[in-house]
Amino acid sequence: MSEPRDELILDRLIHEPARLAILTVLSSVRDADFVFLQRATGLTKGNLSSHLTKLEEAGLVEIEKRFVRKKPNTNVALTAVGKQRIAHHWDQLERLKNLSAITTQQ
Amino acid sequence: MQRRNLETAAANYSYLRGLFGIPLGVLIILVPLVNWGVCPLWAFLVAIAVAGAACLPINRYYNENYGRLTPSTRQQARGAVAAVIGVAVVGGGSLLLRGRADWSLDLPVNAIAVPFALVMLISYAIYVGLKSHHVLIWGALLVAGALPVWHGADPGNIGFVLVGVAVMVSGVFDHRLFVRTFGSPEVLDREDIDVGA
Repeated sequence: MSEPRDELILDRLIHEPARLAILTVLSSVRDADFVFLQRATGLTKGNLSSHLTKLEEAGLVEIEKRFVRKKPNTNVALTAVGKQRIAHHWDQLERLKNLSAITTQQ
Repeated sequence: MQRRNLETAAANYSYLRGLFGIPLGVLIILVPLVNWGVCPLWAFLVAIAVAGAACLPINRYYNENYGRLTPSTRQQARGAVAAVIGVAVVGGGSLLLRGRADWSLDLPVNAIAVPFALVMLISYAIYVGLKSHHVLIWGALLVAGALPVWHGADPGNIGFVLVGVAVMVSGVFDHRLFVRTFGSPEVLDREDIDVGA
C-alpha cells in the first residue's frame, strides 16, 4: 500500500524550476553551451551559473571550459546519472499528474 | 513549465535558423538561369563558393548570439535519414509526375514544385511543427505546382525559381520566428556573455 507513495517522492535538487528547465533542455541534446542554455531557459547569467555549479557538484552535468575563436566558451552535457535522474523525475511528475486526475474524478 | 517547449528548443534552434535559406534560395534560382543560358556555368560555380562563404558569417551570427549545441545521436540520425528520403522523394517524385520514363504519369503539373513543397511541409511538421507561414508559403507552392496548367516544355525551370523564392521567404519568416523564440540578439550582455559555472 505504501510502495506507490514512496516511489512518488520528488527529487528536490531537480524539482527546482530553473534546474528542471536546464536538465530538460540538456536531455534533448548531446551537449550545449552556456549561451544556448541561457537562451533556451530564459535565466540570467548569474542564475544559470549558480544552478550549473549545483548540478555539477551533484554529478548531474559535466562542464567543459574551452576557447572557441579565442573566446571563452562553457560547454555543458548531462552525465549518465543526470540522464537517468531527469528521465525518472519526469516519469514521477507524469505519474503524479495522472494520480491527481484520478483523485479529482473520484 | 512547458516540458515540450524546453525539449523542442534544440530542434527549433537547428531548423529555424532561416538566414541560411537566403544563399540557398539564390543558388536554387540560379539553376534555371544556367539552364536558360542567362547565367554562364562558371558564374554558377562562383555563386556556389560565394553562397558557401556567406554561410560562415551567418553561422557565426547564430553561434555568438544564440549559442552552440550538438544534437543528440538520435537527432543526427533522424536528420540524415530525412535528408536522404527528401532527396529521393523530390527526385523520384519529379520523375514520376513528369518524366521521360515509361512509368511516368506525365501529368500537367510542376514536377519540381510539388514534391519539394511536400517534402518541406512534412519535414517542418515532423521537426518543429507546422507554423502558419509554412502552411502559407509551402502550401501555396504545392497548390500552384499541382494546378493542371503546367503544359509546355519548361515547367521544371520555373519550378526551380518558385522553390528558390519559397526557400528565401520561408527562411526570413523562420528567422523571425527564431528571434521571437530565443529573444533578440541585443538582449544578452555581450561583454561577459559566457560567465560559465
